[in-house]
Amino acid sequence: MTSSPERRSDFVAEGERALIQGDAPPDRALRVRAVAKRYGRTTALESASFDLRRGERLALLGPNGAGKTTLVRCICGRAVPDSGEIEMFDQLLPPSGGRRKLGFVPQEIALYPDLTARENLEAFGRFNGLRGAELGEAVEWALEWTGLAERAEGLVKNFSGGMKRRVNIACGVLHRPQVLLLDEPTVGVDPQSRDRIFLMLDELWRQGTSILLTTHQLDEAEQQCDRIVIIDHGRAIAEGTLRELIANTVGVNRRVTFKLARPGPTLEGLEMSDDRRQLVAEVEDVALELPEVLSRIREAGGQVSDLEVHSPSLHAVFIHLTGRELRE
Amino acid sequence: MIWTVVRVGLLRMWHGRTEILLTFVVPIVFFTVFAFIFDEQIGLGKSPLVNLALVDQDQTELSRELLTSLAGDETLRVFSPGRGATGPSSFSSVDEVQELVLEGAIPLAVVVPEGWAVSLTTPGADPVSLQILADSSDPVAAQVVSALIRQTSGRILAEQAGQLIQSVLSLSSDQFAASAIAHYTKPVGIEVIDLLSADKANPVVSMYAAGIAVMFLLFGAVGNSGTLLEEEENQTLERLMCSELTMTRLLAGKWVLMTIVGVVQVTVMFAWAQLAFGVDLSGHLPGFTVMTAVTAGAAASFALALAASCKNRVQLNAVAIILILCMSALGGSMVPRYVMSETMQQFGKVTFNAWALDGYIKVFWRDLPLVDLAPEVMVLAATAIVLFIASRLLARRWESS
Repeated sequence: MTSSPERRSDFVAEGERALIQGDAPPDRALRVRAVAKRYGRTTALESASFDLRRGERLALLGPNGAGKTTLVRCICGRAVPDSGEIEMFDQLLPPSGGRRKLGFVPQEIALYPDLTARENLEAFGRFNGLRGAELGEAVEWALEWTGLAERAEGLVKNFSGGMKRRVNIACGVLHRPQVLLLDEPTVGVDPQSRDRIFLMLDELWRQGTSILLTTHQLDEAEQQCDRIVIIDHGRAIAEGTLRELIANTVGVNRRVTFKLARPGPTLEGLEMSDDRRQLVAEVEDVALELPEVLSRIREAGGQVSDLEVHSPSLHAVFIHLTGRELRE
Repeated sequence: MIWTVVRVGLLRMWHGRTEILLTFVVPIVFFTVFAFIFDEQIGLGKSPLVNLALVDQDQTELSRELLTSLAGDETLRVFSPGRGATGPSSFSSVDEVQELVLEGAIPLAVVVPEGWAVSLTTPGADPVSLQILADSSDPVAAQVVSALIRQTSGRILAEQAGQLIQSVLSLSSDQFAASAIAHYTKPVGIEVIDLLSADKANPVVSMYAAGIAVMFLLFGAVGNSGTLLEEEENQTLERLMCSELTMTRLLAGKWVLMTIVGVVQVTVMFAWAQLAFGVDLSGHLPGFTVMTAVTAGAAASFALALAASCKNRVQLNAVAIILILCMSALGGSMVPRYVMSETMQQFGKVTFNAWALDGYIKVFWRDLPLVDLAPEVMVLAATAIVLFIASRLLARRWESS
């Protein structure tokens, strides 16, 4: 599948217009407006705009070099935008500081490996302004939340990858931020640990934390997030729920592939492969339209040996919008 | 297979330029430093001049000739008491030169006691020895001057003996034995009086303890400062900078930690030196505390500045090894500075090893009061402040871009 440049530009224009005109929902946890950032001759962000709504889980998707990390750094105050604005709960964020309500979890295991889990939590709690009983309660909560209470006194360097990831996340949320930024929080962990991490994040989300996560895992974006922002070449090129993205890009039709036992006939409205052994149809309602298409093929002398029904996916949307695979 | 292992090793070395630097450049740099220290042929390296004061209590023709000859020797530099002083015998008081030796202004003084010449030329007279009032922290100086005195006095006495030959040729063997010329054949007695170490237990150890302590203080501090680069590499620094911690506080925290660790490190070393070698630490606690605190603070700032200017830990280690070994060599942690040429001794003053060692020598060797540590303390404290500011400026690259 290839991207459609006309459709893509229409979609981008529509999305940005909506943001510039202030049509975004009023209850915003984070608002990024036309943020641009250059490093020398390299444009990291051209004019990125999107919203993170209060109590929402938002996935930030984009190929390598799209500008995701720069965007996250701008939100965290680690990079100063050349232009544009970033608001948190309708308050303009200063270039640095003033981010007490923000939590950040970096992609790397940014912990002290030769400290115990408890010592790490206490240290990062203090760095985030917690003291005394408040700190103690936060650490105990984090140990329970991560399921690591029994390993509290273990050195982090001896932990499994999944356990380290959990401590890594906990260190970013000890001060109970209202907005949490996670940079690929499940890189390199096994499926069980990944599920555990998303259970933890769900708990935070249920308690009202707004979550923005960058990810390369399309299924994470599909299944774990309420909405998705696709970023490419330093711009947010699409924003919405999966259903909205599909409807606005590849369409909602199912794609049905019929495999033929022997080279078959050409039929109007169906794509034929070069070896004439495969037909592809797009159907809106599988239950209603599939029997009819099968009859047409059979009547034309074709013998169907197998068929596959493909739902429109985020992968298709992504390829459609960016013209390239996620890992490129 | 073996060649593949060799090839992989060579390729890795080629790609890791720092390893090449460590393997080939560090030995050359280090060798060059030592060549400058010891080699007389290299521009900087003339043999060190021995500074000394001369006291002529004898005031005879022989004593004046001896001291004039010594003053003219190109390996010696005679210390004059002030403007207007005209010659080597300007010092008349032993107490005055003794004070200079005790302060460390000169490593020794030569005293010709009253009656020295008479004892040489009078048959039956009690022998009177020349005196060298020495600071044995520079043992080479006393040996050099002793040898020069023997050589010079031997030459002078031989000349005088030659003049007497004519008059004694006609003497019988008994008359010859009783004549003055027989005394000219006796060696000149020299008594070396150590002004500083006489009442100290194993005093030289304290100097070497200081030298080694300062060198390892630097290595320890650099090892600690490398955590900054580790934190950058694993994004812990990114996380810290997203918290309420500022870069200034981060650097200040690391500086305090490194200074405390440094103070403990040096204290443990001197405590061991006291237990094992009798160095009098407990008797010099105030001076030791002051010197150790400023030295550890300066080492911490140096390490922070170095870490903030390096790209990664490998680069830091390579640069640190070169710098610390060179500073230690020039500053006297490895080779006592008194064996170096004057130029190299002055050059060594750019290292804070030299200032630290001078301070420790004042404390442990010369028993000087705290106020006399002012130059060393000020230089080290200023170094600590300047390098900390430098590290803060260099660390701006880790702040928001």
